[in-house]
Amino acid sequence: MKGLGVAAVAAICAALTACTNNPYPDADETEKVRYRALPAPLKTLDPAVSYTSLEHKITANVYETLLEYHYLKRPYTLMPALAEAVPEPRTLSDGRVAYTFRLRPGMRFQDDPAFALGEAGRTTREILASDIAFELSRIADPDVASPVFATFAKIDGFRAFSEQLKQRRESDPDFAAQRIDRQYAAIGGISGVRTPSAHELEIILSERYPQILYWFAMPFTTPVPWEAIAYYDGQEGRDFFKDHPISVGPFQIAEYRRRSLIVLTRNPNWYGALHPQWRAPGTVYPSEGEAEDVERGRLDADLVGKPLPFLDRIEFRLEKETIPAFNKFIQGYYDASGIIQESFDKVVLEGGLSPDMAKRGMLLEKSVDPTISYIGFNMRDPVVGAVAGERGRKLRQAMSSVIDVEEYTRIFNNGRGVAAQSPLPPGIYGYDPEYRNPFRVTDVERAKSLLAEAGYPGGVDPATGKPLHLSFDLGDTSARGRVRYLYFVNAWNQLGIDVEIVATNYNKFREKMREGAYQVFMWGWIADYPDPENFLFLLWGPMAREGGGVNSANFDDPRYNALFLEMKDMPNGPARAERIRAMRSILERERPWIELTHSENFALYHGWMKNVKPAGLSLPAAKYEDIDQVLRAELRSEWNRPVVWPAYALAAIALAIAVPGVVTFFRERQ
Amino acid sequence: MFAYIVRRSAYGAVVVMGVLAILFALFFLYASPQEIALRAVGEKAPQEVIDQWIENHGYNRPLDELLVDHYRRMLTFDFGRSDADDTPIIDRLREGAGPSLSLTLPLFVLGLVLGIGLSLFVAYFRGTYIDTAGVVLAVLGMSVSVLLYIIGGQFLIGKLLRWFPISGFDPSPDLILRFLALPILIATAEGLGGSLRFYRTVFIEETSRDYVRTARAKGCGDGRIMARHVLRNAMIPILTRVVVAIPFLFTGSLLLESFFGIPGLGSLMVDAIQGNDFATLRVMVFIGSLLFIFAQIATDVSYTLVDPRVRLE
Repeated sequence: MKGLGVAAVAAICAALTACTNNPYPDADETEKVRYRALPAPLKTLDPAVSYTSLEHKITANVYETLLEYHYLKRPYTLMPALAEAVPEPRTLSDGRVAYTFRLRPGMRFQDDPAFALGEAGRTTREILASDIAFELSRIADPDVASPVFATFAKIDGFRAFSEQLKQRRESDPDFAAQRIDRQYAAIGGISGVRTPSAHELEIILSERYPQILYWFAMPFTTPVPWEAIAYYDGQEGRDFFKDHPISVGPFQIAEYRRRSLIVLTRNPNWYGALHPQWRAPGTVYPSEGEAEDVERGRLDADLVGKPLPFLDRIEFRLEKETIPAFNKFIQGYYDASGIIQESFDKVVLEGGLSPDMAKRGMLLEKSVDPTISYIGFNMRDPVVGAVAGERGRKLRQAMSSVIDVEEYTRIFNNGRGVAAQSPLPPGIYGYDPEYRNPFRVTDVERAKSLLAEAGYPGGVDPATGKPLHLSFDLGDTSARGRVRYLYFVNAWNQLGIDVEIVATNYNKFREKMREGAYQVFMWGWIADYPDPENFLFLLWGPMAREGGGVNSANFDDPRYNALFLEMKDMPNGPARAERIRAMRSILERERPWIELTHSENFALYHGWMKNVKPAGLSLPAAKYEDIDQVLRAELRSEWNRPVVWPAYALAAIALAIAVPGVVTFFRERQ
Repeated sequence: MFAYIVRRSAYGAVVVMGVLAILFALFFLYASPQEIALRAVGEKAPQEVIDQWIENHGYNRPLDELLVDHYRRMLTFDFGRSDADDTPIIDRLREGAGPSLSLTLPLFVLGLVLGIGLSLFVAYFRGTYIDTAGVVLAVLGMSVSVLLYIIGGQFLIGKLLRWFPISGFDPSPDLILRFLALPILIATAEGLGGSLRFYRTVFIEETSRDYVRTARAKGCGDGRIMARHVLRNAMIPILTRVVVAIPFLFTGSLLLESFFGIPGLGSLMVDAIQGNDFATLRVMVFIGSLLFIFAQIATDVSYTLVDPRVRLE
C-alpha cells in the first residue's frame, strides 16, 4: 500500500516535470510553419460565395486569380498573375466594352481524385480559360446565390443566363438533374463571356466599368474545374465543394477540420513551382516598393527575386476568445496578433511598443483600413434632409461641427482610427492628407450660430417651443454600443437639440433603412477594391437606399451625380483628382454625412517574422512572408519553462492542514 | 416497470410535441427569414440574392407546409442543413460529439469520484476543523463565477505557471491530454464546491442513522461503514443528481468549449446562436429536450436498481 502511494506521488511529480504549454507537436519547431489564430469557423470556401475577410485568409492563398495586387507598392497596383498581362479595355462599335485575358499555358490544378471524372486515372489537368468562364456561370447560377451577382451583372447576358437557367430547371426536371457543366452549356453560357481559344478569355461588359479588373484579383473569378463541382457534392462520403477547394494557388489544403484546424501546405502544381523559369511577377519576391520598404529591410538584396513561397506550411487554429489567443501569442505560439482592448496599455505606449514588448523583439505595424464609418442624415427627411433646404443644411453643418471624433477614438478605440475628413481613406486615390473639412473641426460656438441661422436658436424648434427632437437610428442594442452612441447624443445636447437613440436589432434597422423611416443613423463601409469609385458611389443618387442601393443617406445632388459619372470611368490623373475635389466640396457643404473614422489596424509580429507588410486591404500575403524558425524555437523554449514549485507548495499546505486534524481525531477517538 | 416506462415515455412524447410547437413559433413565426438569410449571405449581398437564398432554403413556403415539414424532419431525425453554411446538421453533430465527450466524460468521472471521496472524508471528520475548512472552501468555491475560474485558470496555470496550453484541441493521442488537462482541472475545481456541500449533507444525514451506530457497535471499521453502508444507502440522492447529468455529457459545455477552443457540441451551439443558424439551434434544443426526458426516465429506473424497496408502477 505504501509502495503504491510512493508510486502515485512519483507519477504526479514526473507528470509535473514533463508538463508543457506547447500546443504543437515538438517536431514543428524545426519547420517553417506559420501559426495563425482564426476567431470563428469558416462558413464556406466556395469562391463564388465566400465574401468575408476571414475566409479570404484561406481562399486568397489557395485560389490564384488572373490578376493580383503588388505586395509592396502603394497605392495598390494590379499586376498579372495567371494572366500574362493586365488587359486594356476595348470599346466595341455598339458601345460595349471588352477585356481579353490571356492565360499562361501549362498551368495545372492541384492533384485531386475529382479529375478522374473527366478521364479515368487522371489526377490533374491544365487550367483553361473555360474554367474561369465556368466560375462566372456559377456566380450567375441562382442556386449558388452568390453575393456578388449584381456586380457581375454588368457582363453582357449575365442576368439573362441566370433567368434562363432558373426557368429551365423549374420547367424541366431532366435538365435540372444533368451535370452542372452540361446545364450551363445547354443554356449556351453567358453571351458576354467568351473563350476564343483554350487560353483566351474575353469579357464583354454592357457598360463602362473599369473597376471590373479589381474583381479579377479576387477569388470570385478564380478558375474552378467543373469536375470539382460535380464530384464534391456531399454524396457517398464525399465532401462538399465549399469544404474542399481545388487549389490553383501557392498553397493547398492538407487538412480541413472546420471547427478546430486548417492546414495549408505548398502546392507542388502551382505555376510558380512548375515553371520557375518564367519568373512571373507573382512567383518571385518583388524588387520594387516604397521608401519605407527599403528602411524596413523588405527590399534587401538577399530577398529580391527569390522564388516564392518561403513558408512550408500554414496552420490556422480556431481561437474564439481573444484573451487566450493573445496570451498564446505572447508565449510565442502564434506569430502575429492584433491587440486586445484589455492589454492595449501594456503593449502600446505613446503610439509605439512598450519597453516590455520591445525587449521581446516584437514589431508593431500600423495600417489604415480602406473603411469609413459615418453618421448619416436621411436627405428625404423634412427636418434634416434636402427637403428642408438651407435650414436643413445649416442644421446638418451645426451637428457635424460638434462631433469631436479624435476624443471619441481615444475613449472608445484606444486612439486607433484616423479622423475622416471625407469619404476617402488614406491609400485610396484622391485622398488628400492636407485637406481639413471645416465642418469636421470641433467648434461649439460656431455650431450654435449655424443652428440659430437654421432657425433653431438654442436648439429650440420655434414650431413647438421645445428643443428640436430628432431620432438617431441604430442597429445595435448592446449596452456597450449605447455608451458609444450617447457620446454623440451628448455632443448634440450641447446645442440644445434633443436626440433620442432608437436602437433595434440589425435586421429591423435594415428594414427601417429600406423603408426610409429614419432621420439620423450610423453606418460604415469596407471597400471591395482600392478605387475612389467604391467610396463615392455610396452617395450617388441612383444608389439611394430606397431603391435598394447602398446610398443610405438618399443623397441625390445633380452636380455630384454628374461628376461621379465622369470620375468613375477615368484613369487616375489630374482630371480625375479635380472631379474628386469638386465632389468633396459638395459633400463638405451639403453634409449628408458626418464622417467619423477610417479604422486603423495595429498588428504585432514576433521578431522571427520576416517580410511582413500590413495592408488595409485583404491581400494574399502568405507567399511573401518568411519565418526564422530557429530563433522562434529558442525564444519559445526560453519563455515557456514551466513553474512547478507552486504545485508542491500547494500539496504541502494541504497536507499540513489535514494531517494534524486526522491524527488528533484518531488520537481523541482512541 | 415496463408499463411505467411506456407511460412516462408517452408523457415525454407529449412534451416533445409541445417543445416542437414552441420551436416552430420561435424560429418560424418570430424570426424572419430575411434575418437568417442576411447572416448567411453577408452584409453586402443585394436584396435579390437574399431573396434567392430564402427561396433556395425553402423559407418562403406557406406556414402550414413549413409546420408539417418541421415536425416530419425532427421526428424522423432528418435534420436538414445548417442555415449558416449548408452543411448537413447530422454531420456537425457527429463531428462535435467526440470532442464534447472527450471533455465531459473524464470531467464527469473525476468530479464524481473527487466529490464523493472528499465528501466522505469531511463527513467522517464532522465537527472538526477539517470539516469546517471543507465547508468554508466549498462555499467560497461556489461563490465564484465560472467565468472567473476559466479566465483565472487560464491566466494562472496556462500563462504564469505554463503547465498546460492555454487553449486549443487536437484529437491525436499524443496531444489530446495536454489540451484537456486545463479545462478538466478548472471545471473539476469549479464543480467541487457544490458537490462537496451536497454529498456532505447526504452523508451526514446517513451517518446519524441507527444502522451506522449498530454497525459501529458490532465492531465494523469506520472505512467499511462509510464505503459500504453509508455510501450505498445514500445512493438515491446521489443518483438523482448524477443520472440526470449523464445524457447531457453529449451536448458538451458551452463556456468551456468556447474558451478552450474545443470543437464540441457546446461550442456548436454558441456558433449557431452567434451566426443566426436557426436550423442548427432548433435541432440542438430538440435534442436537449429528448435527452432531458430520457434522463428523467433513466433516473427513475436507476432507483429500482439501488433500492429494492422502490417499485415503479
